[in-house]
Amino acid sequence: MKMTKIYEGSYQWIMFGRDPGKPEKIIDTNQYVVRTANRCLLIDPGGIELFAPMLAAVLHHAPVEEITDLFASHQDPDIISSLGLWDQALPHAKLHAAGLWEGFLRHFGCETIEYVPIADNGGVIQLDRVELRLVPAHYMHSSANFNIYDPEAKILMSGDIGAALEAPGAPVFVENFDAHVEKMRFFHQRWMPSNQAKRAWIDRVRELDIDILAPQHGRMFKGDDVKRFLDWFEALQVGIAV
Amino acid sequence: MSVSQTKSQFVAVASIAAELSAVMDVAKEISLAAANAKAIAFRAGEKAKGFQPITDFINELAKETIELVNDINKHASYLYQLTVDEYRMTEACDKFERVYQTSNNAPYGSSLEQPLHEVRQKMQQCRKSFNVHVTELLDQLGEVMHPARAARVIAANSRIEASQAGEYLQSLQAVAESVDHAAQIIHDKVQRCRSALNVIDLTD
Repeated sequence: MKMTKIYEGSYQWIMFGRDPGKPEKIIDTNQYVVRTANRCLLIDPGGIELFAPMLAAVLHHAPVEEITDLFASHQDPDIISSLGLWDQALPHAKLHAAGLWEGFLRHFGCETIEYVPIADNGGVIQLDRVELRLVPAHYMHSSANFNIYDPEAKILMSGDIGAALEAPGAPVFVENFDAHVEKMRFFHQRWMPSNQAKRAWIDRVRELDIDILAPQHGRMFKGDDVKRFLDWFEALQVGIAV
Repeated sequence: MSVSQTKSQFVAVASIAAELSAVMDVAKEISLAAANAKAIAFRAGEKAKGFQPITDFINELAKETIELVNDINKHASYLYQLTVDEYRMTEACDKFERVYQTSNNAPYGSSLEQPLHEVRQKMQQCRKSFNVHVTELLDQLGEVMHPARAARVIAANSRIEASQAGEYLQSLQAVAESVDHAAQIIHDKVQRCRSALNVIDLTD
């Protein structure tokens, strides 16, 4: 599992991905970890088959008792079908996920982890002194969809927004935006259902100061590529399968 | 718990639920047959005097079977839950061990020892509990066999009593046949439940 530190201040953001042991027909995913002094948040910790390599990788940064929070951005199994295993490994942790999703998400097994439902208008996750904002991104893939924004690190973890289907071992950052576009087009057109929701999300996100836009698949965008992505996405017609 | 063991355990417990549901239907049919027989015996009056107490017996047996099956169903549901729990614990144990092996150079690798220990204990607890409940379920299934056997004896008596009932002979014989048939089905279904349970490996 490749580990890339994407922010290093008084706390860290680490990206985990490009797992070489991943079964062939399973989509490659990016997991993110925010590590503060005493706590650790796993953002979209992944599918069930990814649990062992993911936990093994996280143990390089935090002991299990300090892995205190999990976040699930949207309603796909590659986000958190591993929940039942985290539930056994981290009995005192909290899961932050959409309230709307709770009755379904518990099918993965969630008996000891505390479910902290996210309201439709978002909320915050407080990790020690670090405050992470839960930004609504409804219908940007699933009806209850949230991003995480860190105003200090200036990172927006955007779930499936900005995702691209890549070859194994692809670099973690976009290097040539124009060349990258074709890896994103169909995915966004087919998996994002609503132009109206897309406009609302873009308006909301343009107000944020973002250095890195970090999706759950493919490469991250940094610097000017964040604006390039928003402009490209704004012009793209989505929900094309009607 | 190996993969094939897990599969056979899930299948066994699910099959029991299906067989029990069929037993319940048949028991309800017996209850209906008893009510039907009672009405016929009432119409037949003196000619079916010996048949009347038999209908009460049949009704009682049906009730008893329904109650027992309800109890067994609760037990079977609990066994299913235990199977799910044990499956989850086994999977967690397996995955934690993998993490433990692959994270030996991770600075915080040893922090997994406690969760691994706990999940192993929970897995063993599930197995023990499952074994205890399977034994109890087998006993309960044995109990259902008693009313089924009694129903067959009553069906034989019913045939004799029906032969005295003149023009009601055919109707009452039909009741006796249906009770006998239903009892046979219950017997077979319960046997299948027991066979399904016997394929489960109960070693700790």
